[in-house]
Amino acid sequence: MSAATRNIGLVARREFIERARSRAFVASTLLLAGLAIVVSLIPLGVRLVDKATISRVAVVAGEPGLATRAIGAMDAFLNTRLDTNGSPGSGKFTFEEGRDEATATVDVREGRLVAAISIRRTDDGGLDFRVISAGALAADRAQLLQVGAFAVGILDWTASQPAATKPFITPTFAVVDSGSGSIAAPGATAPDAADYASRRIVGIVFVVLSFLTLVFYGLWVASGVVAEKTGRVMELLISAATAPQLVIGKIVGIGLAGLAQVSLVLAPAILALLASGRIGDALLGPDAGAGASLSALSPGLIAAFLCYFVLGFALYAGLYAGAGSLLSRAEDLQTVALPLSLPAVAGYFPAVLALSGSSASIIRVASFVPLWSPFVMMARLAVGTVAPWELALSLGILVATVPLVTWLAIRVYRAGVLMYGQPPTIGTFVRALRGG
Amino acid sequence: MSLVVDHLRKRFGSVVALDDLAFEVAPGQVFGFLGANGAGKTTTMRITLGVLEPDAGRVTWQGVESHRLPRSTWGYLPEERGLYPRMRVLDQLMFFAGLHGVPKERARREALAWLHRFRADDLANRRAEQLSKGNQQKVQFVAAVLHEPQVLLMDEPFTGLDPVNVMLLREAFLELRDRGRTVVFSTHQMEVAEALCESVAIVDRGRMVVGGTLREVRRSTGRRMVRISVQGDHRLPWLAAVTGARVIQAGMDRSSVELDEGTEPDDVLAAAIGAGARVLHFEVADPTLEQVFIDHVGRAPDEEVHLAPVAEGDVA
Repeated sequence: MSAATRNIGLVARREFIERARSRAFVASTLLLAGLAIVVSLIPLGVRLVDKATISRVAVVAGEPGLATRAIGAMDAFLNTRLDTNGSPGSGKFTFEEGRDEATATVDVREGRLVAAISIRRTDDGGLDFRVISAGALAADRAQLLQVGAFAVGILDWTASQPAATKPFITPTFAVVDSGSGSIAAPGATAPDAADYASRRIVGIVFVVLSFLTLVFYGLWVASGVVAEKTGRVMELLISAATAPQLVIGKIVGIGLAGLAQVSLVLAPAILALLASGRIGDALLGPDAGAGASLSALSPGLIAAFLCYFVLGFALYAGLYAGAGSLLSRAEDLQTVALPLSLPAVAGYFPAVLALSGSSASIIRVASFVPLWSPFVMMARLAVGTVAPWELALSLGILVATVPLVTWLAIRVYRAGVLMYGQPPTIGTFVRALRGG
Repeated sequence: MSLVVDHLRKRFGSVVALDDLAFEVAPGQVFGFLGANGAGKTTTMRITLGVLEPDAGRVTWQGVESHRLPRSTWGYLPEERGLYPRMRVLDQLMFFAGLHGVPKERARREALAWLHRFRADDLANRRAEQLSKGNQQKVQFVAAVLHEPQVLLMDEPFTGLDPVNVMLLREAFLELRDRGRTVVFSTHQMEVAEALCESVAIVDRGRMVVGGTLREVRRSTGRRMVRISVQGDHRLPWLAAVTGARVIQAGMDRSSVELDEGTEPDDVLAAAIGAGARVLHFEVADPTLEQVFIDHVGRAPDEEVHLAPVAEGDVA
């Protein structure tokens, strides 16, 4: 093992232990992990509350007897628990026969009903289901009603035997708004909307997490350097190890401490999220609409997050180390913390835009800019499709930039650590860059 | 082969910190680097360590430029003391020794041995922030010597130590020298340098004023001194008759008399006897380093030098 590797290891180990042993680290890890577990259990809570909510739905049909048959089929399909013998009324819906579509629509609009289902016989003998709801009907409920509609369609088909003479026609299904009457979410795309929402949630979590961790752990690096300067242990350090060893060791050590904290916070949350589906199934019975919020959390996305976290941290840590080395007093850190976080903030906005589904060219460009790609590309990966070459190029640029920024940081650090009493200005930075 | 400080120049902005500074330190010597604050001592040490680049000139040890040598060649005690406040003393010592490549077990053993020798065994498991300044200084000294460096660079090592610790540190210096180490230390306390050094260099505002063996430097002003002790009136009233002689330090026990060039020690003795004084002690001596310093530099070494304020910031 070379002296350089040995010293980087020693410095990194010291940094890691100092962070991991500090009360602030332990307290913040416990707090964040607790918070993350609570957040990850929200879907379960929603299911619990949802379970207790019974949606009143009116069924209107132009054909005599069809409404009654449909109510019977839907009630049997949607309200019976599969693991028990089932008791009427234990499910999510109460179905009742409505007088006509106009009255039902008014009832929905005025909140007396959650939804009204209007069933029409189509020219080809199939059934057309229109679910009239006010505003957003929960995705899982819409999904369930679609299942119910399918069941009614099959019953209707088997009732008009002989079947051989008449092929089964899948019922058409649409959710419309009670106000405008426009189609809010066609049946076929309802699950996609849920998936998209899930992707956005996961994307927001990763973007916010990347932003917070890079800025937060970056500040750890800067404050660590400032503390060594103000505590004057720097003099002893710089005479024992070289500037590259000290900078790289610090970045590695604090980066590992940060990674450990992120893992300690995320792992239990992901486990809780995974377990909550099963806990929910065990407690509340299986539910087709549950667990949708997890669907976007793929191993690939987690791997991408880790890659961008590691590379992004290396980049930001370099900036923070260089800046920290130019400061003489701990108070100065507050002065430079805001300007230092600006590059990250500037990357945060295109990332939020990307999360909203925008595919403007500025967002695509931002996802290649090294300081921004950890946020923007994560957002794009979470919500949309990214070509493999785009991901490779974005990571490639980041990988190439890290050594360059680290080299600059070392140069500034070498001159900066022995510089005391100078204001943290651009001029100081330039002088340090030129070697003091 | 010696430590050669070879015509160093260094500016910080408009302030000249080192102005063609040059001297040599023979291996195995204790060398005193004397000057007031701001004379350029710290800058010279930092250039020697390779953490600061000179504008011109170089420092070599055994013929190799200092920045090409491994860091472990040097044992450095900075003037600004500092340790990791929350780290245990033994952990810090092992950490710094580790950076210099000392294996863990040896580092632990040596660290405990040094602490014992400084009568500080109980410090091993304390955190640095719980230590007095003097104790922190001892710990830093141990951190500087644990890896058995060839050259020790100590910046004002005696400042802030109580007399017992000054004695312990002086003994450690001499022992390290006896083990073949070269010890360079800066100080503005001339009596410490006088007691410890074989050679000294006096620097002022980045320039070499005078350097050489202790004896050469003390004789560099051309002045001589006598130390005289007489029974009765120690103010030596009869001395007024001797031209070119004056009392620079009157004492009940012994008085120091400075002689201008051309005035012989014999003249003082003759005047004393002629005046009927009973001479108990008479000694021809060189002037003290303090006097030499004042003669050369024009002020006492502990007087502040007034450099431009930027320099303080730059070279602190």
